[in-house]
Amino acid sequence: MSDGLQALADLTSASEEMDYGKTGLHQRHTASLENVLKVGKTFLDEGYILEMLTCQDLREKEEVMRLCYTFNSLDAVDRHLVHVDIAGGLASEQFEAPTMSNLTGGANWQEREVFEMYGVTFTGHNELERLLLPEDADFFPLRKDFGRIEDADE
Amino acid sequence: MSSDSQASEGEVYSLNMGPQHPSMHGVLRLLLDLRGEEVIRAKPVIGYSHRAHEKMAENRNTLQFLPNTSRVDYLSGMIYNLGYCQAIEKLLGIDVPERAIYIRVIVNELNRIASHLLWFGTFLLDLGGITPFLYSFDDREEILDILDQVTGSRLTYCYGRFGGVTWDVDETFLTRATAFLARIRERLHMYKQLVTDNVILRERCTGVGVVSEALAKSYGVTGPSLRASGVAYDVRKAEPYGGYDRFDFEVPVLHEGDTMARFHIRIREIEESCKIIEQAIEAIPEGEILPKKMPKRFKLPEGEYYFAVESARGHFGMYIVGDGSDIPVKLKLRTPSFSNLSAMPETLAGTMLADTIAIVGSIDVVMPEIDR
Repeated sequence: MSDGLQALADLTSASEEMDYGKTGLHQRHTASLENVLKVGKTFLDEGYILEMLTCQDLREKEEVMRLCYTFNSLDAVDRHLVHVDIAGGLASEQFEAPTMSNLTGGANWQEREVFEMYGVTFTGHNELERLLLPEDADFFPLRKDFGRIEDADE
Repeated sequence: MSSDSQASEGEVYSLNMGPQHPSMHGVLRLLLDLRGEEVIRAKPVIGYSHRAHEKMAENRNTLQFLPNTSRVDYLSGMIYNLGYCQAIEKLLGIDVPERAIYIRVIVNELNRIASHLLWFGTFLLDLGGITPFLYSFDDREEILDILDQVTGSRLTYCYGRFGGVTWDVDETFLTRATAFLARIRERLHMYKQLVTDNVILRERCTGVGVVSEALAKSYGVTGPSLRASGVAYDVRKAEPYGGYDRFDFEVPVLHEGDTMARFHIRIREIEESCKIIEQAIEAIPEGEILPKKMPKRFKLPEGEYYFAVESARGHFGMYIVGDGSDIPVKLKLRTPSFSNLSAMPETLAGTMLADTIAIVGSIDVVMPEIDR
């Protein structure tokens, strides 16, 4: 890990080394909602890029919606996966996280995609609207309780 | 002219381009706010070919998802298909036989050349040059024939199998591929004289649509578009997969970041792909194309995985979450054109309307890959 990333130790909990050969990831971190922008800024300041942002619906088992960010360096591969858990069970409808789109442009569309697929609202995002689905879609298809695609047609 | 002076005083109007427009690739729709011919704001509207591939991945087992992969990006379907195979192989620890590694590299690079040739033709068609389109499609047709001979399909290949490839290639395939290399090299020489050295093209493209290194990194732009902005990032070199570390090839880099630079990079990549194919044909060994022992079901071990390959348009990443069953809990497809296009609003602001066509054409977007 490069020196500039040392600040991560204070910002994240449960950082662990991963087996790159098997998983394609170098490290995995868990960050809180308060710290997510600071974590993002730490990586971006070091010249890393936001490679991917997605989400996992773990409401049933762990009662969280989990944002998954990967940051990678374009100079020498160093992939960090950052988990950010938003608390809420199956009954919860509201999930909020701060937007990273002011730090890196790439977050703009990726957050819009997570918003429409999982129903996570990114506060401070300046055009949080549907990206791939029709404008009037009122469902979140990648949530696990959405069901299978065949079921949705009935 | 009175209408011009009126417009320059600040009357802003909106223009809708696409989704059905001759120079919009696939079903891209751009909402443009214009003052005169200057673009004030550009807003891509996407999703017209959204087919829910990520949702489908959660509904079916790993093997059943295999035919989906080449439909994500139908212009470099082979790279996506084999990339997905490679991800599953890494996950399960399956060793690919030597011969299959070489076959994969050859068909991958042929597919990359076919994709670049299609871009070359359509990009110039957008700019008003019809002749190069006819030539490049003729060349591309030859590749499609060669790949059709071995895979049975022209675009949406499903040639990969976990652990290898479906069918072995024969001497005819190798001879035809070698002959194609000679043909395309001759053609590239002609393309240089006909197109690259053409002063009209240069005037049209030089200094137009500059994407700075910082902007490219901010939006996660990858592939030829990133390498035209001065970053030597190629997944084949950064995270060698599928035997690419055995071949001697260069990653072309230019620093201008404009439309012309993106043009040059793709042409040079065709030459580099030719070099790789040549070496692979030279060194291809005899032997099996699939491992002898294979699991019946491809169960994903519990955990999270991220694997990437270099498609014709950049970094194609797969983020896979497994739970011990053969159905992924989550399969995120990180596609290059999605990120490349997301940088367009910032790039297009302040350019001229006519340049919009050149700029959007030069980043080589494939809509089904963006919409997934």
